[in-house]
Amino acid sequence: MAVRVIVGLLLIVAAFGSAGRRLLMLYRLGRTAQPVEPGRIRVGAAQLRGEAAEVLGQRKLLTWTVPGTAHLLTFWGFLILGLTLIEGFGALVDRDFHIPWIGTQPWLGFLEDFFAVAVLLAVAVFAGIRLRHRPAREGTRSRFFGSHLGGAWLILFMIFNVIWTLLLYRGAQINTGNFPYENGAFASAAVARVLAPLGATANDVIETAGLLLALGVVLGFLVIVVHSKHLHIFTAVPNVRLSRRPRALGALQPVRSGGKPVDFDDPGEDDVIGRGAIEDFTWKGMLDFASCTECGRCQSQCPAWNTGKPLSPKLLIMSLRDHALAKAPYLLAGDDHANVDALALAEAQRPLVGDDGVITPDVLWSCTTCGACVEQCPVDIEHVDHIVDMRRYQVVMEASFPREAAVLLRNLEHAGDPWGRGAPARLEWTAKLDFPVRVLGDGETLPEDAEYLFWVGCAGAFDERATRTSRAVAELLHTAGVEFVVLGSGETCTGDPARRLGNELLFQELARQNVQTLTSAGVRKIVTTCAHCFNSLGNEYPQLGGDFEVVHHTQLLSRLLAEGRLTPVRPVEATVTYHDPCYLGRHNRVFAAPRDLLGSVAGVRLTEPDRTRERSFCCGAGGARMWLEEPLGTRINENRTDELIATGAEVVAAACPYCIDMLADGVAQRAAEGVTVTDVADVLLRSVRQPEEAS
Amino acid sequence: MKIVVLVKYVPEPTATWTFADDHTLDRQSVEGRLSELDEYAVEQALRLAETVPGAHVGYLTMGPARAVEGLRKALAMGGDDAVHVLDDALHGSDAVATSLVLAAALRRIGFDLVLCGMASTDAEMSVVPVMIADRLGLPAVTQAAAVSTDGSSVTVRRDTDEATEELAAPLPALVSVTDRSGDVRLPSFRTIVAAKKKPVATWSVADLGIAPEQVGAAGAATVVRAARPRPAREAGTVITDDGDAAVHLADFLAANKLL
Ligand code: SF4
Ligand code: SF4
Repeated sequence: MAVRVIVGLLLIVAAFGSAGRRLLMLYRLGRTAQPVEPGRIRVGAAQLRGEAAEVLGQRKLLTWTVPGTAHLLTFWGFLILGLTLIEGFGALVDRDFHIPWIGTQPWLGFLEDFFAVAVLLAVAVFAGIRLRHRPAREGTRSRFFGSHLGGAWLILFMIFNVIWTLLLYRGAQINTGNFPYENGAFASAAVARVLAPLGATANDVIETAGLLLALGVVLGFLVIVVHSKHLHIFTAVPNVRLSRRPRALGALQPVRSGGKPVDFDDPGEDDVIGRGAIEDFTWKGMLDFASCTECGRCQSQCPAWNTGKPLSPKLLIMSLRDHALAKAPYLLAGDDHANVDALALAEAQRPLVGDDGVITPDVLWSCTTCGACVEQCPVDIEHVDHIVDMRRYQVVMEASFPREAAVLLRNLEHAGDPWGRGAPARLEWTAKLDFPVRVLGDGETLPEDAEYLFWVGCAGAFDERATRTSRAVAELLHTAGVEFVVLGSGETCTGDPARRLGNELLFQELARQNVQTLTSAGVRKIVTTCAHCFNSLGNEYPQLGGDFEVVHHTQLLSRLLAEGRLTPVRPVEATVTYHDPCYLGRHNRVFAAPRDLLGSVAGVRLTEPDRTRERSFCCGAGGARMWLEEPLGTRINENRTDELIATGAEVVAAACPYCIDMLADGVAQRAAEGVTVTDVADVLLRSVRQPEEAS
Repeated sequence: MKIVVLVKYVPEPTATWTFADDHTLDRQSVEGRLSELDEYAVEQALRLAETVPGAHVGYLTMGPARAVEGLRKALAMGGDDAVHVLDDALHGSDAVATSLVLAAALRRIGFDLVLCGMASTDAEMSVVPVMIADRLGLPAVTQAAAVSTDGSSVTVRRDTDEATEELAAPLPALVSVTDRSGDVRLPSFRTIVAAKKKPVATWSVADLGIAPEQVGAAGAATVVRAARPRPAREAGTVITDDGDAAVHLADFLAANKLL
């Protein structure tokens, strides 16, 4: 017994000492970061539900069935096998140890063995997946491309070791009569049968050696975990708990500096807008970086990565983590950097963003903010927020951004729209309508009988294709007898492209002007055809004190259909596929309305593309990318167009002017005969119009 | 070295302009901005100042009360201080009166180099710079595509249709720059915040020793007799090609005396 106690204690001291030092360092590193937003700490029902679903229920992992199930078994396996750890520590001092009360019940023995076997199987599945999808075979298409492969294999090997050593000493325990369970532990019993012929002494030795080996492996595993990407087994739990609920999509977060909101009317001289250095991130940001499991689910869905651009959300998060760790000695040294080692000093000199920086400009500017990464990430890392935060610093503090963006910013600033057409031209789209559109004059309040303000948007007013959608929606509302007004020259860009490009100053200027216009006009309900306007008005304007009920036209139209105020009369004989715009679908969860709408039209045969709904693939226009050139890799819109054409559809329907533009360009590029790209509302209009007035 | 940039606050080109009863532009009803062409002069001044240690960049404008926003925009891009000549008597001034006022103000400020844009985006006369140079007896180098200085002289590159010229003038001098002179910077947050504290002096015509009747509509050498909005542009002719499009096109060009 003395051997057990002494060796056991030595192992424990060594492992906990090493792991403890590491965890303390990580904790102190987190303390050098910025405070988090106050709302994060709050524990509400949403947070608890999130934790239950994503950690205990492994919801996001299970969206990928095979690896998800394997991970579920491993996760629960480790929770349950935690009991064997208690048994193991107990056995160091008392060979007969068992957990009080329930510790001899057969079902517990069975449960432990069941999960031991399940984890073993899961390890085999993981190994299979890693072999099949190894980067050497699949190249950049592999979700493991760029992950630490050796480290991952080591972890699998360690898990394997944990299980076999556990079963070994449990088997020996049965033979020496020290096992807590009479029956139930089927796997341990099987091992016992193999060991039994070796005799009592041998089993005695195997029991002690196996126990020490098992504990040694587990403790070694602990040390490896805190020094590797496998740290996620500790950080994922708080990270999921502290993440934005229901998800870090939709609105971007208001700018905070030093933990306090920035007052854009009177900004402080030392306010920092965005993140220009690793320590500008909040400690939740740091926790994000520490939580990345390198699983590559984000990377596998990223439109930038999938079209050969240098941005992978996984590699971005990994770079930030590696940089934070490399710079840690410098950050932890406080103000006295005399004793900081040269490598950390050199790392501290590296810019966060730059050609020789941690993140290169090509990576930063490739993001469409589509949110596919956030959607996928099983540990709720908030990639989009981090990317936009870094853009904010580049644009606002450094005035550094792709050259083409200057035109966009100038047009937004001076004309109030990306095209630079200016307010007076905002009603031109109405010219071809055969009924008058009511326009709210300067300083007027919304008339009593007008139910909705129709927010036309810049594209809806100026983009050739989008004006068709504006007219279709106006005509449908008119037909349904819904009274609406438009702002005409009183409207300016919502600021979405400015904000997603990182120009928060310009966003604030535009958004505040709009909030002011809408509020003073007494607007309550807004309908809009643009997914980006929909997102800004509904999710971001509340940050500026603008609270409106915002609906997307597909939602309003499907409601009008349900209420019988619109009746599709003419069949539209066509195979139609629907492209989920990121800012309507993933960011705002409007999946059903546009499909209901298409489904209500007789003759329409709806086909879904492979990547659909939550996994829809971006058209390439989000994140202000609409206004930037796309010189790297292949084109995102063409990638998506190919997929949509492959459904065999004659009509590609979308519900966002930018998607429609991008996809129409893609169809033109592919010279796809007989494929048209249009808005969902247009399909409905064709069916609602009486035959004689069809045009 | 002291650089003074002449800037103008102009009505937003994409906005709808209206004219008051005296045929002057109604500046109140329309959003304004720092003239886009003047932004290039500001940019060049700031770039020059980066090459000359201890250089000072100031801005000068003449205009209604809101014109101070143009100065603030310039100061947000960089530079040190600004002067705003503001006086009701200036309403309706023509180019001659404007040059009188700006020349007097420049004399009072003191300068080594005066920079201005190639034209204003509203009146687009391009005459004020040379008028000022004439009044101050300065060498004037206009339409510069590149500017550099060694502290005692200024060298510019000018691209014409026929040739690229390199011109030099001793300081003090006046230079106007084109919109090809280099991309204009976006004000960064720090300079925007700092700009709020930069001094802007407001001078009246009396401060400059100019009598009210020498400026404004009263002192103008020209009179605006009428101002009419430009007729809306008509839709173009669309020729559908039925095999004879070329003929139609030729006819159209001939009919419009373009052939
Ligand atoms: S938001 Fe979209 S484009 Fe940006 S990193 Fe995530 S997946 Fe890639
Ligand atoms: S960021 Fe999330 S999804 Fe991407 S590799 Fe890391 S853990 Fe996986």
